[in-house]
Amino acid sequence: MKSRIEQVMKKFADKCDYLEVHFEETEESRIGFTGPRLSDLGRRVDFGGNVRALHRGGWGFASFNSVDRLEEFAQYAIDQARTVGKGTSQLAEIEPVVADVPLELKSDPRDISLENKVEIMRAYSERALGFSDSITSSLVTCFDRFHRFWFGSSEGSLVYQERVDIGGRVTPVATRDGDTQGYSVGFGGSDDFSVVKGLEREIDHACEVAVGKLDAPKIKGGEYTVILDPRLAGVFVHEAFGHLSEGDNVYEDKNLQKVMQLGRRFGKSFLNVYDTGLDRGLRGHLVYDDEGVPTEKTYLIREGELVGRLHSRETAGKMGEKPTGSARCLDYRFPPIPRMRNTCIAAGEATFDEMIAGVDHGVYCISASGGQTNGEMFTFTAANARMICGGKLAEQVRDVTLTGNVFTTLENIDLLANDLAAHDGGGGCGKAGQFPLPVTHGSPHVRIQGVVIGGE
Amino acid sequence: MKRIIEKVLSKGAARAEVFYLNSLQTEVSYEAGRLKELANTEETGVALRLVKDGKLGFATTTKLTHLDRLVDDALATASCGGEMEFNFAVAGGLPDSRCFDETVAELSVDEMMKHSEAGIAHLLDYEKDILTESGTARDMQTIHVLNSDGVDAKFERTQYQFYIHGRLVEGTNMLDAGAYFGGTALDVDFDQLYERAVDDFRSARTNVDLATGPTTVVLTPRAVADIMLTLNFGVSGAYVEQGISPLVGKLGRPIFDERITIRDDGLRSGGYRSAPFDDEGVPMQTTTLVESGVLRSYLTDLRTARKLNHADTGNGLKAKRLVGTKELGKSPAPEITNWVMEGGEKPHEELLSNVGSGVLVDSIMGLLMSNLIAGEFGGNLAYGLKIEDGKTTGRVKDAMISGNVYKLFKSNLVALSKDVELTGLLGGIGTHWYPYVVLRNVTIATKS
Repeated sequence: MKSRIEQVMKKFADKCDYLEVHFEETEESRIGFTGPRLSDLGRRVDFGGNVRALHRGGWGFASFNSVDRLEEFAQYAIDQARTVGKGTSQLAEIEPVVADVPLELKSDPRDISLENKVEIMRAYSERALGFSDSITSSLVTCFDRFHRFWFGSSEGSLVYQERVDIGGRVTPVATRDGDTQGYSVGFGGSDDFSVVKGLEREIDHACEVAVGKLDAPKIKGGEYTVILDPRLAGVFVHEAFGHLSEGDNVYEDKNLQKVMQLGRRFGKSFLNVYDTGLDRGLRGHLVYDDEGVPTEKTYLIREGELVGRLHSRETAGKMGEKPTGSARCLDYRFPPIPRMRNTCIAAGEATFDEMIAGVDHGVYCISASGGQTNGEMFTFTAANARMICGGKLAEQVRDVTLTGNVFTTLENIDLLANDLAAHDGGGGCGKAGQFPLPVTHGSPHVRIQGVVIGGE
Repeated sequence: MKRIIEKVLSKGAARAEVFYLNSLQTEVSYEAGRLKELANTEETGVALRLVKDGKLGFATTTKLTHLDRLVDDALATASCGGEMEFNFAVAGGLPDSRCFDETVAELSVDEMMKHSEAGIAHLLDYEKDILTESGTARDMQTIHVLNSDGVDAKFERTQYQFYIHGRLVEGTNMLDAGAYFGGTALDVDFDQLYERAVDDFRSARTNVDLATGPTTVVLTPRAVADIMLTLNFGVSGAYVEQGISPLVGKLGRPIFDERITIRDDGLRSGGYRSAPFDDEGVPMQTTTLVESGVLRSYLTDLRTARKLNHADTGNGLKAKRLVGTKELGKSPAPEITNWVMEGGEKPHEELLSNVGSGVLVDSIMGLLMSNLIAGEFGGNLAYGLKIEDGKTTGRVKDAMISGNVYKLFKSNLVALSKDVELTGLLGGIGTHWYPYVVLRNVTIATKS
């Protein structure tokens, strides 16, 4: 593949300002149980590529499965870029990279037989279904993917990378009188198949939570002091702040640039937020991003002040900032755009006990069933929750959906615990039709004043 | 493709089915009011299902130079796969479907650019500080399904999508509005689409306070489409079979107010997902799901139809859940096509003016995190307007709406509008037709 990239560069590199070629081959195994039934067992081979051309600030892009027509697509992408381009190309400068990045695995999913993987998942499914009569169904999914990436650019970069992505989810479902409640155990990683194993106790706990939710009252809507557990707080920082930090959301928007000006205060002085690709073993781990830029740990908020954002070469170039190795694409069908990797709130100093002792009437929100943002406002739903009364955990409640303004909510964080934990689930992040991209998030327990919770 | 089936049978499989997809998509994107990118996506792939020793195997590939690998993968999955619980489709007559449109097929990139540029001009003409984004995409697909039971059916489809989105940032106040169209044909009045986006900006420039509590809510067709995700899940043969849909055992029984009738119309002219047959080769049809409030049908694929002893409604689609695009690697499962809800007696303007005070809800953020299967929906009002004396008076922010479809659409329905509008789902993908819906006593929680 490398020689094909070099050939295209030789022939076309001088026809536009910048040219890059990606190839990608993915081999996937996938298992799904629905209740006791093996409902999905499949293998997938996906092989394709793309050519991306930049000329006078305009992009042309062509993706394809018919790899033998590479030159035709290269010509197309260049023609399109030349049609679009009417200004100047602004890509942040980087050192071209020539590198091979082989796998470094603790345990290779390809060494485990399909039969063996099916049996592990079957055992999870049976464990959940056998937990109690109230568990009427369960959803179990597991995938592993082996990716090979080739990337070359007209600036001389030529990178070959291998990556593994593993993930999945076990969701016991409890049903009674037309009411359905579930609770998920997610898992994932990038270098060790054993993340898939040993989930029995977590599954038992998930069953307990799901059954408990059948009886739990709905929370009353209103404003509360909330404590977020590390998983939910991780989703919060991803949704509420991570997306706002992506360069492509800011670089063309003069008004948002004023809001997101570096140096602006976003929280109290103990608040630190970063996004990193450096943590080996996590799903958000990278070596080079999809523009061949080495990954890094990027601080977004340091001591309460905005200090950075996540860039592609173009958004960095246009804003006069440095690329951060955050340009990622879902696969070869899409161009790389600024995305998160592993987004974390750094640990504070409080203990969980200190944190809860100060709450007279509040909600402890545990794990998230998802989150979303539209820039200024965010919303996310706690997968499980308990009331806090007089400084102590009280009854389980359900249907806890939190919402707020990003800026005031970050300011309202009044305590961070010392128990930072990163978490990988089996899902992923969605943006601009590119879903699900593997990302990780992490956080300690976080206490926030005055959060609106929906409810009837 | 026939050769794959022959090869599979020669290796001991009892039956086999091949799904072939070829698509060529052309896309124009605008960012910050300027042409940003032109893109072409060529996609070719094959999915293979086979039955060996009573077990189902499944594999897919986009590497058509290595079809032996596909066959080996499918056989490998069959060796430890699940029991085959259904038969592949049988050959038979196929319905007429208007899903290929010459005008869409022949659209030039210049014309596509014009659709976006006119929309951007409209928004900027209203307010020059709006940051606009727009995209126009045209997809040409060939889908071919063959099986060892004699099915050999092929169709071509055009799909067109357009969106315009604007964001106005004033201080830390952000206002988003836009419009979407999707379909297999260009049945759209672009000027009306652009005007709607401008109107949405115009109506929401001032923020107003709302007190927490139950209120009358006017749902726009866009909001109804999103909230009906609950019913999308509820009628899915897959969730019914698992016993987790609240509609289990409710066929023939009232689930909604008697004024509500909803159809899944896979043959709807111009519908985004319209086609002569589904991804298993089963004819598509028009299925009445709810008739005068009474549940009439679930949506099924070959397997769930067999398991539930229900008619096969031709909804076995390889759709990426909630994104809606074709996903080769996914097994066919019951998925919606195009949904149509019948309207009521009065135009929505009249319904709105009859509402003394309330909230107009157009877009709910975070809806997907609700317990949709149970009928529950909730989230932040991304776009909601306060109604006072029958008129919208400003935008409501930091407010959470929540409710249960099976309660609200049964007991709290005030009216449906006579006008039924085409809308996408979750701001994009698909074409569905819904009226405005007025509901009483819906809870909205706010800061005040």
